[in-house]
Amino acid sequence: MHETAKNTIEFKLWGRFALFTDPLTKIGGEKCSYHVPTYEALKGVCKSIYWKPTIIWVIDAVRVIRRIRTQTKGTKPLEYNGRNTLAIYTFLTGFDENEKDVNRKHGVEYQVRAHFEWNKCNKLLEKDRVDGKHFAIAKRMLELGGRQDVFLGTRDCQGYVEPCIFGEGEGAYDAIDEIGYGLMFHGFDYPDETGINNLYARFWYPKLKKGVLTFERPENCKPELKKFVREMVPKTFGTENIKSVDVETEELGVLE
Amino acid sequence: MSWIEKLYETSVEIGKMQLSGPDRPWPVSHVAKKAHVEVTLGSKGDFRRIRALSFDESLTIIPVTESSANRTSNDAPHPLCEELSYCAADLPNRKEKRFKEFIELMDQWAESEEFSHPKVKAVRNYLKNDGKLYTVLCKNNLLPFKTVNPKGKKTPVEDKKVFVRWCIEESGKPHSGTWEDESLIESWINFDASQNMPNKENQSLCMLSGASVRIAKGHHRFLRTPDDGAKLLSSNDLEGFTFRGRFTDVKNDSGKQACTVGYVESQKAHNALRWLIARQKYHKIEDEFVRCFVTWAVRCKPIPDPCANSLDFLGDEFKINDTATPQDGDVGQSFALRFNKKLAGYKANISDTEDIVVMGLDSATPGRMAITYYRELTGSEFLERIEKWHSDFSWFQNYGRDKRFLGAPSPKDIAWCSYAKRIGENSELRVDIKLLNATVERLLPSIVDGRPVPRDLIEQSVRRVSNRAGLEPWEFEKCLGIACSLFKGFYNDRRYSMALEEERTSRDYLYGRLLALADQIEWRALRLANEKRGTTASRLMQRFSDRPFSTWKNIEEALKPYKDRIRAKYPGLLDGYEELLDAIHSKILSANYITDTRLTGEYLLGYHCQRQWFRDHKREKGQWILKSADDVENQEADFEE
Repeated sequence: MHETAKNTIEFKLWGRFALFTDPLTKIGGEKCSYHVPTYEALKGVCKSIYWKPTIIWVIDAVRVIRRIRTQTKGTKPLEYNGRNTLAIYTFLTGFDENEKDVNRKHGVEYQVRAHFEWNKCNKLLEKDRVDGKHFAIAKRMLELGGRQDVFLGTRDCQGYVEPCIFGEGEGAYDAIDEIGYGLMFHGFDYPDETGINNLYARFWYPKLKKGVLTFERPENCKPELKKFVREMVPKTFGTENIKSVDVETEELGVLE
Repeated sequence: MSWIEKLYETSVEIGKMQLSGPDRPWPVSHVAKKAHVEVTLGSKGDFRRIRALSFDESLTIIPVTESSANRTSNDAPHPLCEELSYCAADLPNRKEKRFKEFIELMDQWAESEEFSHPKVKAVRNYLKNDGKLYTVLCKNNLLPFKTVNPKGKKTPVEDKKVFVRWCIEESGKPHSGTWEDESLIESWINFDASQNMPNKENQSLCMLSGASVRIAKGHHRFLRTPDDGAKLLSSNDLEGFTFRGRFTDVKNDSGKQACTVGYVESQKAHNALRWLIARQKYHKIEDEFVRCFVTWAVRCKPIPDPCANSLDFLGDEFKINDTATPQDGDVGQSFALRFNKKLAGYKANISDTEDIVVMGLDSATPGRMAITYYRELTGSEFLERIEKWHSDFSWFQNYGRDKRFLGAPSPKDIAWCSYAKRIGENSELRVDIKLLNATVERLLPSIVDGRPVPRDLIEQSVRRVSNRAGLEPWEFEKCLGIACSLFKGFYNDRRYSMALEEERTSRDYLYGRLLALADQIEWRALRLANEKRGTTASRLMQRFSDRPFSTWKNIEEALKPYKDRIRAKYPGLLDGYEELLDAIHSKILSANYITDTRLTGEYLLGYHCQRQWFRDHKREKGQWILKSADDVENQEADFEE
């Protein structure tokens, strides 16, 4: 299908709305979206497609297909005590009222390229690192639209996935050389993937070049742009509480 | 780039402008507060005089600590200027703690070697040695205190809430007020910074600058108006459930795990935003906050407001009265000329790569504010879009006697035209504020991004105009202009001209012309008999727009007596009308004359242009000719033998 390593998936990701919350507006509750997806949000999408503690998803790049627009919605979030408050959420949407093609009227659309690597921090699952089998399952799950609900940044924004060829078709930003977005949230360093019992938030300066945002690998993000959040202990996964990939491929029948 | 970075960058640019007095943004660690009384001291802290402040002079820049700026119910004192409950040693029933903490803070500042200032020492000495402020106020009949606003409304102030500011008279120094003394402001900023040197406790990554600096515990209020309590950045997650989950902050530290912004950075960004909003003269409508759209160039150059109509854009210099006479043909061209002239003025100032930001702010609850729209553009993009909006959507606008112009309506006008309602019989047409906000938000991408205007707005405005019975004559005129400009702009590819196009043969356009003609004939006849009432055409406009063919029969039949009336007095003029009727009829026959389907907004263009044409033409010697410039306003000169 495409000339990429046997651990890479490429998919189209779309939905009516997206809310990749800017952390500055998150704590107040009046959430406002970044204009482009964050690394962590896309990683979450990959995890929804297929995830096991054996692997780590790495997002290579995202391509923005539909022109970015925003729309606000008045919301009535619940509070912990059962009452509610009022807030205005600002979503991303590609909604186009004058689009003649009904199917293209709504929403945001992205193309994502991602691959998985073995989680070297998880020694207990070494036996589960079987070449090809994880990839076969991931591909099958992508064709089925993902194992769990896919959402765009925030749980309110249901998303959908479908295999595609990265770079195919027209994108709204293909002709624009570069758009900078300033200091932006990249993702979290979770202890189960770093092996350090601390939670860090990573930041970076993304640039959308010809419609494509190429992500920095988490370990290559600048250490001075990391924020210590808190101490955190990972959950342990081992062969006793995880179904082995051999059994699973057999059950699913994804390998001939 | 993120909004807060842009604001910070702007604050740096504002700093370069070297503004002074009330024009400049608040300094870091200072806020503006309404003071009530002014106490003048000598340089040693000896009392000289006291006076009440009037409404206009009361706004005072005062130094604050981080906790006092965000105080609500706690006792954190401001240094220097305070309420009587903090600074009067003799106030009855006062909280001892407040005075003590206030004096302690003043002591620290006054005694610090590097940052002390003679004015601080003077105030501190006065308060420590004398400090019987309450007695002084009573003696001068200033209590109970009342503020008087410009309308003369008096509001009483509690004794303990009376706010005091200081003047210190030193020989040879012109600025006696503590708020005017740059060196004093500087000294507080430095002292406050020295008290909060970054350490392990308060230091973290600033999400604005990416540097590791002293983190703000709270952020500014009072961004849109002085009584606006809504914060852009806030966190109160102890009762709500806004963002926890992976974050486990406890009280006093709430939000630090999720989000950190530097103290100085946050203040500068917020101060810049406040300054920008004030510069655009934002104000509440009927005591409600309307959605606030701030547009600015990061380098603070003047730029056009995307939410203004063409009249406001061009200013008073452009009125329809002094535009070119109709002899020039398409008046739109002359509009374009003037518009470009004005735009050129902006262009000269704004470079192509200048950063322009459009930001929308609104709050759903009094305490918090949301960013509802954010867009960055380059200077050339922005001006291009503005130019395109105003030229594509330009039409004859008639907003009343002094507000007749050629150009585009503002988003507010469009919302008014589409959705305004009359509540109560004789009240004005008004738009619900929420609907207004939503409509402006939907229209802004059309202006700023060059997207097509939402189609439902066009249809809604056409429907509104067709339903003429529900509108006062001037409201009808205003709506007609707005609906026409929307339709014309939306179908820009059809190249509608702003003058009558006699060659255009589309059905809707011709029907519009017919309607205007019928209107004109009846109006003329009524005028001859000095009657004042609506014409059949205007009454049947709604039906006409739905079923033109069958309604036209009614209108035409009703015209007979009026034609007779004109024939009796000015047979020549009637010939002219008949000639036109025949001409339009013959054209419309070849179009789909008899299809009785609903008319699109195009008929309004035909109607409006034809009506305008009558205003500009008269019948003379068996010919329609252009009126001379003097006659244009004179409707009686329609006919001459």
